[in-house]
Amino acid sequence: MSPEISNQSLLFLIVFVLVPLWLSYYYQLGLKRDIIWSSIRGALQLFLIGYALNFLFDLPAIQGIPLMLSVMITVASFHAKKKGEGIPRMLSTIVIGLILIEGSVLSLWLLADMIEFTPSQVIPMSGMVIGNSMVAMGLAIERMRSEFKENEGRILAALSLGAKPSQSSKIILQQTLQSSLIPNVDQLKTIGLVQLPGMMTGLILGGVNPVTAIKYQLVISLSIFSAVSISAIYITLMTYKYFYNDRMQLKRMESE
Amino acid sequence: MYSFHNVHKGILQNINVTIEKGEKVIIFGPSGSGKSTLLHLFNRLQDPDEGKIHFKDNPIQSYHIPDLRNQAGLVMQAPHLFPGTVLDNIKYGPSLRGDWREQDGEELLAYVQLPTEYLSRDVNHLSGGEQQRVSLARTLANKPEVLLLDEPTSALDQHTIEEIEDVLEELIHEHQLTMIMVTHNLKQAKRLGDKGIFLSEGEILESGLILDLLETPTTTSLQSFLA
Ligand SMILES: Nc1ncnc2c1ncn2[C@@H]1O[C@H](COP(=O)(O)OP(=O)(O)OP(=O)(O)O)[C@@H](O)[C@H]1O
Ligand SMILES: [Mg+2]
Repeated sequence: MSPEISNQSLLFLIVFVLVPLWLSYYYQLGLKRDIIWSSIRGALQLFLIGYALNFLFDLPAIQGIPLMLSVMITVASFHAKKKGEGIPRMLSTIVIGLILIEGSVLSLWLLADMIEFTPSQVIPMSGMVIGNSMVAMGLAIERMRSEFKENEGRILAALSLGAKPSQSSKIILQQTLQSSLIPNVDQLKTIGLVQLPGMMTGLILGGVNPVTAIKYQLVISLSIFSAVSISAIYITLMTYKYFYNDRMQLKRMESE
Repeated sequence: MYSFHNVHKGILQNINVTIEKGEKVIIFGPSGSGKSTLLHLFNRLQDPDEGKIHFKDNPIQSYHIPDLRNQAGLVMQAPHLFPGTVLDNIKYGPSLRGDWREQDGEELLAYVQLPTEYLSRDVNHLSGGEQQRVSLARTLANKPEVLLLDEPTSALDQHTIEEIEDVLEELIHEHQLTMIMVTHNLKQAKRLGDKGIFLSEGEILESGLILDLLETPTTTSLQSFLA
């Protein structure tokens, strides 16, 4: 395999776009515009990020890393916030959570000498931690909302027996956390057997020895696992109280 | 024990009620008339939009909410059991305050006519009537002074209903409890109640001694409800 894909070769990717386009046409899925637009947009985004990364990697670490981490945390926070509509101080709660999580993971990596403080190592690794934490927070909020709705009667029963919101919410916290963590547990169990993880694949394609690639993959997989767990617990504990008023009553939930 | 002054909440309009300690009050009326809503005001599962409620001569807001809800024990219209065993459910309230005693389990189940073996049953494997009884036992476990019962025997057979009524009367008599019960069963209302409140579309149309209400209704609404 050549170390780099030439631009001419890249043009043949059109074939991969034509297949779904043809399917959409043949089965009248009405997705023509979406397919073309998302392919072009995806390609542009990636190239732009590529150039931005080139630029960042050339900056001194002390400027490039904070700059890119701030951008990533900001974008991730606004994205996760969408799931928490109606919950007060959602954005700041998510921002603080992501900063704490990314901060501790990064400190551990650096202290244990797993990676170096250079943009080319810190930024891609952190991106994965932040991205996965963002998804985990969004899922946990969504799940909590539906658990509150589904278990309204039980929560009222618990409150009426004298439970405080912190106690009555236990009924659903367990469910919420379980469903946020199970996909990750499952993923870890089959890691490498079903699908080679993206980062490892990348390193191997880039010519790195598979065993070295696995070491990096282990670092990132376990970091993500722990970041995702903490994200789900953090966001759940920070937001469950907004489902109650200050009189220990369940707030009426606006039905969607 | 309770007094309501011009209370409004949702469908409920201008509710004025006084309930003395030890009274057994029946709330009845058509479906959707606001009976459950009214019951939820007694333990602050909901609060009025307007008006004042006093509990034992003090504004109801002056009580610590978990304590109030302990003292005024509600059995909801649907059982809403927690996942787990029957024991997990009936010890829930007392455990919150760390005063659950294992030996209480047997007695609580006896109150609701269930055998002791049921303590270890998974609540998913109970019949509707059994769930309703566990829900009643779960509230009794808190040893409330006021019983707020929302159709607590609607899913039971006549024999079990009467057994449980006997137990309730005994508990009420022994511990001088106050009972406020919603029921669609007018025979039960007659057997258990001293006073009655007839609700229709959120308004109290008649109240007084239950026997008077049921035997000599004065409003046409109550007459046609009973007919
Ligand atoms: N959570 C709620 N949100 C909005 N409206 C409600 C809610 N709960 C009850 N209502 C409305 O308030 C009215 C009174 O309801 P409530 O449950 O108190 O009636 P009920 O007399 O207990 O009826 P039933 O005999 O069927 O149990 C109904 O019109 C109902 O639709
Ligand atoms: Mg009702």
